[in-house]
Amino acid sequence: MAFAPRLLLPPPPPARCPPPASARHGGRTAPELSGPTPRVVVVTSGKGGVGKTTTTANLAASLARLSLPAVAVDADAGLRNLDLLLGLENRVHLTAADVLAGDCRLDQALVRHRALHDLQLLCLSKPRSKLPLAFGSKTLTWVADALRRAANPPAFILIDCPAGVDAGFVTAIAPAEEAVLVTTPDITALRDADRVAGLLECDGIKDIKIIVNRVRPDLVKGEDMMSALDVQEMLGLPLLGVVPEDAEVIRSTNRGVPLVLNDPPTPAGLALEQATWRLVERDAMTAVMVEEQERPKKKVGFFSFFGG
Amino acid sequence: MAPTSVAIYLSFRFLPPRPSPFCWQARGLRPIRASTNGERKVGALERRVGDLRTVVASVPPAVAAIRKNIGLNYVAGFCLGITVLAAIARKVIIRTHEHGNKGSVADLVRRGQLKPGQRGIAKPRVYDDPFNNPLVKIDEGTSTAQVFGKEYRMAPVRLTKEQQAMHQKRRSRAYQWKRPTIFLKEGDSLPPDVDPDTVRWVPVNHPFAAASSEVDEETAKQNVYQKDGVPSRVKAEHEALQARLQASDNVTKFSSDPRNTQCNDRQLRLSGESSGNQQNLMPGMVMNQNGQPTFESEKHRSGQNSQSKSLEQQ
Repeated sequence: MAFAPRLLLPPPPPARCPPPASARHGGRTAPELSGPTPRVVVVTSGKGGVGKTTTTANLAASLARLSLPAVAVDADAGLRNLDLLLGLENRVHLTAADVLAGDCRLDQALVRHRALHDLQLLCLSKPRSKLPLAFGSKTLTWVADALRRAANPPAFILIDCPAGVDAGFVTAIAPAEEAVLVTTPDITALRDADRVAGLLECDGIKDIKIIVNRVRPDLVKGEDMMSALDVQEMLGLPLLGVVPEDAEVIRSTNRGVPLVLNDPPTPAGLALEQATWRLVERDAMTAVMVEEQERPKKKVGFFSFFGG
Repeated sequence: MAPTSVAIYLSFRFLPPRPSPFCWQARGLRPIRASTNGERKVGALERRVGDLRTVVASVPPAVAAIRKNIGLNYVAGFCLGITVLAAIARKVIIRTHEHGNKGSVADLVRRGQLKPGQRGIAKPRVYDDPFNNPLVKIDEGTSTAQVFGKEYRMAPVRLTKEQQAMHQKRRSRAYQWKRPTIFLKEGDSLPPDVDPDTVRWVPVNHPFAAASSEVDEETAKQNVYQKDGVPSRVKAEHEALQARLQASDNVTKFSSDPRNTQCNDRQLRLSGESSGNQQNLMPGMVMNQNGQPTFESEKHRSGQNSQSKSLEQQ
């Protein structure tokens, strides 16, 4: 798990304008949105199974809870599952493919979450339907542009990219301006992530940050697993978040409720919330919790046995 | 066998067996004694004690016999039976509990039909700052953090801007990529004026492999940007259905009215004349719905105007 503790940073330069009220009071109630909206962010990885869909669902839910309207787009045409993580699998009847065909409007294909009213889901197509070959790749570009021109445009459009670097990947990254690269601390995922980062940079997406998922501090301590710093050293990209391995991820998937909505929060949920704040503020991590260490034992005196 | 051992063996054979202490008692044999009343009572008591001793003595052999015969199978079966009974009891309890709570408002909240806030069932979560949380404590002096009760060592991020630029340069050299803009199905021929680097070949079973589409690119784009009104395909189907209904209504009206039979005859005659006229039409001229000759370009222009008007209305 990770942070950006302010005391490990060098002292900030003197500010020209007074800090916002929330910072002056020492606590923060919400992150400060940076950049023009809507911000189109693609969540990708290259390798499958590293946690793209889980990350997309939780980032979107966290944004909605911060009252930042978000549209989560499942760009995996063949294997749709973002709706499962959000608990909306029974409510997806119209997709972007239906919008293209003229069967419905775009606003009719957006599924609004019942608990989080600022969160909407759009699926690219149904599993058995096919997109037109000639212009199917332009679908998300048109969708993002249409959402931008809407009466109430969202603050964020999160695109859950399919695994691989084929037509689905090309379609998903087409409208994106930023990217969140999800990886696990193993060499296979890192190699694929590096390749995807290269393709994104070739395509003009320079704002790429990584989330290291499924970190095991016990294995890091035993030097059986790379640490987040090692991952960053290999990829050379700023860190957005470090998410520990957490069994609650599976339970939240079974429930169809995003992990960040758990109360009390879990370690992975807290890490994803922190990543959301950094995403909103276009910030990156400056320090990382590397490994677990044993707490120093208290000195036992003669009278400790008597409760002294 | 040696003769001495045979003699010993035979002598042992001829010796009466040594009476065991419980031998005659197990068999139920009782010694015969001459007795008075007191002695009879004592004898009776002795008999009862003897019986009791017999029972007690028989228990270990019985236990051993049971243990010998039962084996592990019976134990496993017993445990399994207990488990099955516990599962059945649990199901019964759950079912009675569900039956008791069936159809309450809480079910509507659980299904998402009602908001929990309105019913006061779920308390709204007070959102905590994830960086300033009671579950997270940072020790500035030792660069450690206590998170969810565990202590972690913290280390600063080492990546510099120069290192970041170096990695970007490395990747730009390693991965030369031009984003594909044209998707073609595997097996299709490459168009002559298309850069092969911009083509992505799509397998036949890929979700993007629908080669033909009922709408063209421009119409699809307009469908995406449509903000209100009826979607184009739904509208087109509705109009087609309306036209079909009108046509069927007209046919039924004509067939039911007797005066229309004369009109039909006249129309047939006229159509016969017009077919003759069509042979005399100038090239580029066609007959319109009223049977009047008109130029083909005028007819096409009027059709285009009606289509553009329908798109504007959308």
